[in-house]
Amino acid sequence: MTLMSVEQLTKTYQSTNVVDELTFSLEPGKCVALLGPNGAGKTTTLRMLAGFIKPTKGEIVFNEERFSRDVRHYVGYLPQYPVFHNWMSGEEFLTYVGQLAYLTKHEAKAKAAELLDLVNLSDAKKQRISKYSGGMKQRLGIAQALIHDPKLIILDEPVSSLDPIGRREVLNLIRELKKDATILFSTHILNDAEEVSEEILLMHKGKMIKQGAISDVSETQGTTSIHLSFGDEPKFIEERLKEIDSVFNVNREEDGFIVTVHDINIARSQLLDLIQQEEWELTRFEIGKTSLEDIFMKAVTE
Amino acid sequence: MDTTVIQLLLPLGVLQLILIIIALIDLRKIDETNGPKWMWVLIIIFFNFIGPVLYFILGRRM
Amino acid sequence: MQWQTIFKKELTEHWRSFKWIWVPIVFIIFAIMDPLTMYYFPIIMDTVGNVPEGATMDFPTPSVAEAMIMSFSQLGLLGVLIAVVVSMGLVSKEVKSGVYELVLSKPVSFTNYITAKYVAILMLIAFSLAASLLVSWYYVNILFGTISFIQIVVSILFFIVYFMMILGIVMLFNSFLKSQGLVAFLSIITVVALNVVSSIYSHVITWSPTLISDYINVYFYSGQLETEIWFSSVAAVAITVISLIIATITLKNKAID
Repeated sequence: MTLMSVEQLTKTYQSTNVVDELTFSLEPGKCVALLGPNGAGKTTTLRMLAGFIKPTKGEIVFNEERFSRDVRHYVGYLPQYPVFHNWMSGEEFLTYVGQLAYLTKHEAKAKAAELLDLVNLSDAKKQRISKYSGGMKQRLGIAQALIHDPKLIILDEPVSSLDPIGRREVLNLIRELKKDATILFSTHILNDAEEVSEEILLMHKGKMIKQGAISDVSETQGTTSIHLSFGDEPKFIEERLKEIDSVFNVNREEDGFIVTVHDINIARSQLLDLIQQEEWELTRFEIGKTSLEDIFMKAVTE
Repeated sequence: MDTTVIQLLLPLGVLQLILIIIALIDLRKIDETNGPKWMWVLIIIFFNFIGPVLYFILGRRM
Repeated sequence: MQWQTIFKKELTEHWRSFKWIWVPIVFIIFAIMDPLTMYYFPIIMDTVGNVPEGATMDFPTPSVAEAMIMSFSQLGLLGVLIAVVVSMGLVSKEVKSGVYELVLSKPVSFTNYITAKYVAILMLIAFSLAASLLVSWYYVNILFGTISFIQIVVSILFFIVYFMMILGIVMLFNSFLKSQGLVAFLSIITVVALNVVSSIYSHVITWSPTLISDYINVYFYSGQLETEIWFSSVAAVAITVISLIIATITLKNKAID
């Protein structure tokens, strides 16, 4: 079952395709990161999905059209720079947007109290929003996105403007939220994506250049790196390592070598055979996954 | 004659006083104004009637 | 239900920014200022002015109708200005600051959004007009002579219809401009232009909404309500409705960039 499927989504401003024929689908209960450098078209994509700008071309189908109403009923959206009615208190604002989403006043109040608790703002709920800090506003922003129990939560750069503590709080919150809903959030910071999401969509210049589960995306690259260190560095080791057919690159590091290999299973035994045969003094053998950074750089420069 | 003058003009004075007071209350409550707050205090108090109106139109930043 | 939510929020916002206090007070001051000064002018000149010896001071005391008309025309200028200024940011400010994005991410109907805001500000202005003109009527009755209650109420109602149109025009400019100053400027230009054109061709376009105040003046002088005031009012309502419809469509079609 698919929660939302997007086909050939395109947005054109002044004859440039800011978003260019995106096709992907969102599965329920997953946390998906929309990655890309600044200006990749992430915000425009999210705004189209949230239902308040119209695509130039393409289709957004929500849950196989079982929900035929306005998509905004099912989507909670947090813009990159959320702005509130600063003269209201946090509690008032949540109740207000709850009622805008067709909750009764009573329901909206109950839900607001619950969410203020979740985002840890209960102590500040009577305070005017103008007194809130940046992190508090971001958490209030997340709370308002959740007020009508959306099926899909869209967060635009939820952590990039925050200090490390605020960032940690919000990432923990996202981890909490993905138990009950599908989350799509954009970021240009790879660590954030790796930390909380299962899937990534990689965008560059309006185009989708890579998509899939984080593990799949790393594997499809076909390379893995192995970190080797030795107590007493053997002679001609670099040349010897390069002779192995499954190895395609060796980089000297301060504390040893980073060996990039094609097939980890073959490479592992070949390397260990060589080391055992030569009786090299191995002090470290560590298999590392290709980081998203590598994938990202590779995809972008391709 | 003098008492009727007072009776007729008194409400006008009271209204102007109310304007000054609510403008000052609002100025105290508000986080940010266009221009320094002390300047608005002076404008509100000394520019009778026009001062508070100017404050509400131009001074508040929300 | 959603309409009431936005409407109540607007009323609360106006209340907390003291609009419900200062706008009526300012309107009252505008309305009574001229009749009062006209009445006390001779006294003021007596005490302040150093009138040359032997000069004859002759100040014609205005008639009841003239005194009452002074209030209306003062509000027709300064009242319009205040009405434009308090409504210039209703939508434009929310779009510019970005609150609009949060509000509109909820399933808010554009019609509700525009009309709830419009009715809330109209209530404030209508209340201010009624309060100020009734106070002025009270003063005029004491100082200059009698005007019937019916006459003043009817005049106030027609005057409110004129302001309805002005607020509609302000909403229209609100829907496609981000700058509050520009909204105010263009609204005032539009109202002034309508006034100028209608007074030049007043014998041709007798149904122009800006002639409502002229017909109110005639009503005070003659006691007779001109039939044309009804056509003018219908035109005012029509312009209001069209403005609000266009404003709604503009917002609906506008992509936030």
